[in-house]
Amino acid sequence: MDHTREVFCSEIEHRLGRIACDAILDPSPEVVAAQVEAVAADLDAAGMADAAGRLRALAHEPIEQLGARLKTEWSDWRAHDELRGDVDALGGDAELSSMFVAEALDHLGTIEATLLRLEEAPDDKTLLNDVFRPFHTVKGNAGALGLVTVQHFAHTVESLLDRCRSGRHPVGSVEIDIVLKSVDLLTALITDIAERSAGATGKNLRAERLSLIEALEELMANGSSVNRQPKPASDAPFILEPTPAAAPAVPIRPEAAPAEAPSASTSASPTTAPAAMPSAPAPRAAAPMTAGGPPAPPAATNQAPASAQPAGSRESAIDATVKVDTRKLDGLVDMVGELVILQSLIHESPALARIGDERLTRNLAQLRRITTDLQRGAMSMRMVPIRQTFQKMSRLVRDLSRKSGKQVELTLVGEDTELDRKVVEDINDPLMHMIRNSMDHGIESAEKRAAAGKREVGHMWLRAFHQGGSIIIEVADDGGGLNKERILAKAVAQGIVSPDQKLTDDEIHQLIFKPGFSTAEKVTEISGRGVGMDVVRRNIDALRGRIEIASTQGAGTTISIKLPLTLAILDGLIIASGSERYVIPTFAVRESLRPTPAQVHCIQQVPRLVQVRDRLVPLIWLSDLFDTGAPRVDASEATVVVVEDETRLVGLVVDRLVGKQEVVVKSLGDAFAGVRGVAGGAILGDGRIGLILDAHGIVTLIDDSDVAAPAA
Amino acid sequence: MSEETKNESAAGKYLTFALAQEEYGVPVLKVREIIKMMDITGVPQVPSHVKGVINLRGKVIPIVDLRLKFNLPVEDSTERTCIIVVEVELQARRVMLGMVVDYVSEVLNISSDEIEPMPDFGERLDTEYMQGVAKVKGTVKLLLDLDKVLSTDTVFARAA
Repeated sequence: MDHTREVFCSEIEHRLGRIACDAILDPSPEVVAAQVEAVAADLDAAGMADAAGRLRALAHEPIEQLGARLKTEWSDWRAHDELRGDVDALGGDAELSSMFVAEALDHLGTIEATLLRLEEAPDDKTLLNDVFRPFHTVKGNAGALGLVTVQHFAHTVESLLDRCRSGRHPVGSVEIDIVLKSVDLLTALITDIAERSAGATGKNLRAERLSLIEALEELMANGSSVNRQPKPASDAPFILEPTPAAAPAVPIRPEAAPAEAPSASTSASPTTAPAAMPSAPAPRAAAPMTAGGPPAPPAATNQAPASAQPAGSRESAIDATVKVDTRKLDGLVDMVGELVILQSLIHESPALARIGDERLTRNLAQLRRITTDLQRGAMSMRMVPIRQTFQKMSRLVRDLSRKSGKQVELTLVGEDTELDRKVVEDINDPLMHMIRNSMDHGIESAEKRAAAGKREVGHMWLRAFHQGGSIIIEVADDGGGLNKERILAKAVAQGIVSPDQKLTDDEIHQLIFKPGFSTAEKVTEISGRGVGMDVVRRNIDALRGRIEIASTQGAGTTISIKLPLTLAILDGLIIASGSERYVIPTFAVRESLRPTPAQVHCIQQVPRLVQVRDRLVPLIWLSDLFDTGAPRVDASEATVVVVEDETRLVGLVVDRLVGKQEVVVKSLGDAFAGVRGVAGGAILGDGRIGLILDAHGIVTLIDDSDVAAPAA
Repeated sequence: MSEETKNESAAGKYLTFALAQEEYGVPVLKVREIIKMMDITGVPQVPSHVKGVINLRGKVIPIVDLRLKFNLPVEDSTERTCIIVVEVELQARRVMLGMVVDYVSEVLNISSDEIEPMPDFGERLDTEYMQGVAKVKGTVKLLLDLDKVLSTDTVFARAA
């Protein structure tokens, strides 16, 4: 954008401001309409016909809102106009553009994570370089594609980073903050341009961008962390070249203070700075803080072995990867699944067994081995480390810590644990809710912690690890723990449990997952509306996971989520009932038994209970439950599969067990979305589909219908 | 849309099939394939005309029995019984569905002047999923509006 045009635009903005004033002082529609027309005519003359059209269209709006509407319209148009070049540039080569967007967003994600680590060790030059390098790449790529606005903005941020890198500017919380904001904005800007070039209307990010640029430039000009709120940008000048501010950088905190050092020096340093300055980020063992005092960043400590690797080796690992469209990958995994089934069909074919040729048998065994390896390989391609999700969470903890004024350290463990891609995507929301919950209800205020004799800085852990065939993700805090009495009282008050009900500790803990349940006395910005934890439960259920809570009052809470390794394959028990076969996920099966007549108990002549060791388990015939019309087998002749959902047990009566098999899980499609008790379909060895039973659905189905009470 | 243009757009190639001695037709463009009758896995809590699901080369496809759907007498499947796999729109998404029919007859080219709109039978006969009637070589073929026949309320599970 050239200078004269810039001047012209700011003149238009002034005139619109005057119109707005006139509209309020002297609300005469004709005069105002004439003024708008005059502006529009000038715009026409300047070759900005579309802007003129947009303003003219507003000329007959009610006069009270006209001023504001004109300003918004103009600002939207400016945003649109400014990005026009960028949008065109991005629309040029679809493939190149989508590559750029994906790569840039990737880089920005990495930068965000690195910034959070940098905040903890502001003097780590390597980390600073790790921020600078990808940033430079994004800027360079944007420039190469012709995204002028993106490039210009990135350039301004980069100038600040460059000053920091060369030691001409200190790295403090203000710097980290502004760069984090810039990264957010760049992410939004690039997404916005991509959306605009796809034909969407787009968001107006102009004001935010201009005020950030201004703040960045002022920060550089002053050379120190001056705490100032960015001005609203309506009248912000658009300066093309960053002013080459030569002001010497005044470090406000000792340059070489190691992150782990006691904070005596840092806590003193802010006093030397102007009054408006916030304190520099307090290192981990921070000085006592009062609530409402300057918020301190959380510490994200990386303990995973890979994160300790030098940057270079990590980069080479990234270089060796190929990006593949997830649909292609899913297609491949699907096909491999089919191959495995077909292979086992051939393998078990009786016709082949009759041939008895040794070479054929050997080749078939080889084929089986290769297919199994292929399947394992294909499955592993769906697996991604949970690192990125965890990093998002450390950002969340940092932001929440600032908002609430509670000082919290976060320790990440096992970020390299690999999960199914789908699980990683879907675990994001539940984790977020759990962390919000921990921050709001779990971690106490600094005073309370001090009074309880705890460290004033709260500590949270986010852990991921393998256990058996599952993956465990834990969110732990050293906060106040769950208050059982309060939860119970609240649940009784809300009518979720009746006052005379006796609940175990575990059952009380599980209450927090009930929809609408909240013990928060007041609704805060962070949580307390009673939505959240039930979302957690629902999402985890959908992932076939389980939630366990361990809590010690006064010492903290640990919520563990147990998830299957992959969603695509399920370890199932195949059972027969009537002419159909069904798959029950093995994780939901407590045991199976052929009950003796003495174990089966009747109520009013109908067999309804089976004694499994010391527990009485209600009996339910699968043929009744699904109304298959198959005759009911006698309980003592049949097999009872004891299915477990949370703490409830149900004895499912089936004809017989067929076997155990790993099955590929298929959705039955939208048409059967409402079917309860069925989680999907699996293609069995003979090519037919067996329905996969869903233990939770079955239990609720029994609750709602009266299938458990067959006619005597 | 006038009746005339509607008939015009309805003209084209139709796959005709039989159901209890009646002839029906569906647009060939919607037909993906025709397969022999196979074992169908029943799904609970769905209307009786939804027979269940089959595995079509790794895809799970719901199966609707048109005899049951149209309240025609139920008969055991024969050698000629087959499943016509069609692609329809369910809630703005294209899905594959199988229809069980007595047998498949032929592909007919039906011109617009052979098609008449469905006469109005008032309350006595539900004709909402009939697109029209075609008179071809002295026989009457009922042309089905597939999107309506297999529309959401008839296929979706009751518990939804």
